[in-house]
Amino acid sequence: MICTCSIVPTKVLRRFARDKRLSAKARRAFADAIKYEKQWRKLRAVHTELSAASSRLERGAPLAAPEIAVFNCKQGTTLPGIAVRAPGNDATSKRAFAETAAVAAFYAQLFGRNSVDDAGKTLMSSVHFSVRYNNAFWNGTQMVYGDGDGDIFVDFTKASDVIGHELTHGVTQFSAQLEYSDEPGGLNESVSDVFGSMFRQWRRGETVDKADWLIGKEIIGRGAKARGFECLRDMSNPAAKHCLAPQPTHFSEYRSGMDPHESSGIPNLAFYNAAVAIGGYSWQKAGKIWYEALTGFGPQPNMKMKAFAQKTRKVAKLLFPRDASASTAVDRAWKAVGL
Amino acid sequence: MTVLHVERLGGLPGVGNPRSRLRSCGEISLSDLSQADRAAVEELFRNPPRAAPVLRDAFRYRISRDGASGAETVEVPETAVPTPVAACVKDTFI
Repeated sequence: MICTCSIVPTKVLRRFARDKRLSAKARRAFADAIKYEKQWRKLRAVHTELSAASSRLERGAPLAAPEIAVFNCKQGTTLPGIAVRAPGNDATSKRAFAETAAVAAFYAQLFGRNSVDDAGKTLMSSVHFSVRYNNAFWNGTQMVYGDGDGDIFVDFTKASDVIGHELTHGVTQFSAQLEYSDEPGGLNESVSDVFGSMFRQWRRGETVDKADWLIGKEIIGRGAKARGFECLRDMSNPAAKHCLAPQPTHFSEYRSGMDPHESSGIPNLAFYNAAVAIGGYSWQKAGKIWYEALTGFGPQPNMKMKAFAQKTRKVAKLLFPRDASASTAVDRAWKAVGL
Repeated sequence: MTVLHVERLGGLPGVGNPRSRLRSCGEISLSDLSQADRAAVEELFRNPPRAAPVLRDAFRYRISRDGASGAETVEVPETAVPTPVAACVKDTFI
């Protein structure tokens, strides 16, 4: 939640405390206000957290981590498949359990979100879907992962960013509810790449300058690697030749009707620009700004890229009022891609 | 003998997009399909279904055929495509 409380800035309080036109009593009151401001801010933060927790309790939503359920399609296409009680030696099922739980922890710890719906929804995944299936998808209820054909792609659960990407489609479904065509579609895909990549960086403890910003690096098969492909997409350079799916890098290249997986390159590059300019870990500031812009304004199914860019600019100022460099970075990041 | 020209599009890898380095195409003769699958294909052309509004990263299939009134093309979600038709495509690098 953004705190929109308005308070008198410290420098104004200080000016009043020194203003000899005011009575001594009034000046002392302003001086005291400065002294207690720090404590008051801490109290306000605690109060905000308590209010959020209390609101969840009132809604009857569980506060515990969401349950993780994994199903095995055994190369069939009937969903969800057979429930996996214990993964045993199946590395794919093990990864689906572990990485899905990690995505839930990522959203809970960094953004205070309880599952994709923020109400503790069980996170369901089906693995070994179809035969040599080169895809992973979100069907509105659960994640589905193919094993890959072994040449172009390998097992789609091998890439933590892919798991983060699919689960973020759930987050979007329960927040901004972005449509899946034209500009809202490109934004929908982009936020999945943004949080998928952020999740991978968080898992690896990487700062923005150490991260490779590649999407799907771990699912690229031998045949694709032999041809020089390293990833599906590259957020730092969406048009790069090592991508299996190169993308536009500037809004001037956007065309109506573009597939969301193509147009998402534009906002992907904006996020990369912002995160790198801000520095540190992507989830500390840039991630929080993007998360609030996605989830803090209710359903925005037809939101265009320019509107989303404006929201991030506004949120940057609200979340980090004392750090002008964050809002400047966000502003420049979008301008660099023509938005 | 009617031949279906099939192209698989989209998905997480964005197959078949103008800049994509992956294309997924194939052909299958109607005579190679069971009666039930032929009827399902006929229904796709007569009444092409739309994807579920919450489906994300799923494939779409573009299916073309030469009919009595010329070439016809439909674009339908993966879930609506009979298995042998969906399976006739092959992913290739371009």
